[in-house]
Amino acid sequence: MKHWKVLPVVLMILFLAGSSQAEEKSSKETHAEKVKAMEDTFWAASKAGNTVKGIIVEGNSFFNGTTAPQDKPYTEEELLAAKISAERNSKLFILAEDGTLYYPTCKKGQSVSQSDQAHRIPRVLTEEQKKEGMFTWSNMVPLTGRKVELYGEIYTGYAGVKGIHIKSIYYEGEYLVGE
Amino acid sequence: MATKKAINLKGIFYSAISLVWIFGLSAIGHISMVLIEKYNPAIKFDFGWGCAIVGILIIYMTRFVKSDSWQSFWGVLGGLGMWFAFEYSLMYGGDRMGVTYTFNGSYPEYRIMKWTFMLLLMVFTYLLFQESVRCNFIYYLRRKLRLMRGVVATGKISNYGPRTAFQYIMVTWTFYVLLMIGYDEQLFGPQSWFIYTLFFASFSVFFYLCYKLLSYDKFGANLKYAIPTVTILWNDVEILAKWGMLKEPWVHINWPIMSVIIAGFCVSTYLIVKDLRRKKAEMIESKDVV
Repeated sequence: MKHWKVLPVVLMILFLAGSSQAEEKSSKETHAEKVKAMEDTFWAASKAGNTVKGIIVEGNSFFNGTTAPQDKPYTEEELLAAKISAERNSKLFILAEDGTLYYPTCKKGQSVSQSDQAHRIPRVLTEEQKKEGMFTWSNMVPLTGRKVELYGEIYTGYAGVKGIHIKSIYYEGEYLVGE
Repeated sequence: MATKKAINLKGIFYSAISLVWIFGLSAIGHISMVLIEKYNPAIKFDFGWGCAIVGILIIYMTRFVKSDSWQSFWGVLGGLGMWFAFEYSLMYGGDRMGVTYTFNGSYPEYRIMKWTFMLLLMVFTYLLFQESVRCNFIYYLRRKLRLMRGVVATGKISNYGPRTAFQYIMVTWTFYVLLMIGYDEQLFGPQSWFIYTLFFASFSVFFYLCYKLLSYDKFGANLKYAIPTVTILWNDVEILAKWGMLKEPWVHINWPIMSVIIAGFCVSTYLIVKDLRRKKAEMIESKDVV
């Protein structure tokens, strides 16, 4: 065992290579192809008017009437409070331009799930945004109060509130305010 | 405590190589996580387990290594493996509990890590009162706080591997917790006096630690003390990124910059391994003479 010291490194490389190969076999589509397909689908849906345009609103203050983002935009104070609540897991909704309220949810049929605002959503970027090297994904919490365009599966929902399984998101500017 | 000597060219060479190696390792660690998340997130928790197993194995195997320099070398890698496993365990916990990102962009795993500060304090208290611990900073605090009840523990340390691994973990943990407490908008926030002070303090202490590092002319001590030196500089890198003044090449996958860092890491690894082998050969030869 003269060269035993290289053993952990070899083990790690084999482990990584094995895992990536397994994944490669299961999906022949490369990452770049997936991103391209996601972008094409989004822009086609946007052109056909099949996306949801609206602002992300914080549920607690909206439903108990503390704020009224449907009438006027959040004030600076309200926005900060809404963001703090969102990161404390108060549910976020999308208030569409036509007044419809959308509840972000998982794919239809999934039984065990969790809040959609814990996930990363693939972000669609324009060519200019790509050149600036902007984040290629987004989480909903930092986008509270911002105008977004979403593509996904729409569900009937209940009492006028619709469900949306978000597949991609587009918005202007940086992911994090101040960057 | 390692013996300090006057600054010489050898010390400068060893310090520079050690700093490049530790910095490169941190950058490569970060980009590995980013690449897994981007291209193959399905393997991330298996990867975390793999890191834990490899980390523990490396630390265990340092038991058979005699040279303190090789011990430090493997200790850093063992500590990094275990640290990776810790981060992935928090990611898994965050995923299970549905922990969200913060509105200023902090990731769920670091949000959870922030609240380990009391655990960190308990471990630190133990180290502070454990008189056989010879960490320079803890020894300084022990002296200033008049906690020493007897003479300083002396004698040769033969298990630098696990100690270096533990040092890597403790230093990284401490600074992540500090940064996360600072980033918390309800406590301080990225633009607060706390973060500005941390930025300034880290910047100043980095140069002081570099100066101290120059007086060690063995990879054993250099690698070990390069850990806090680089991690303190890393605070500034993280803060600049948080302020939006720097796009971290390992987060935004900037291959030209990453190639330079990876090349630096490879060259420094080669030089470290070459030097350690040469020293081993010299030891064997001198034994033959005796």
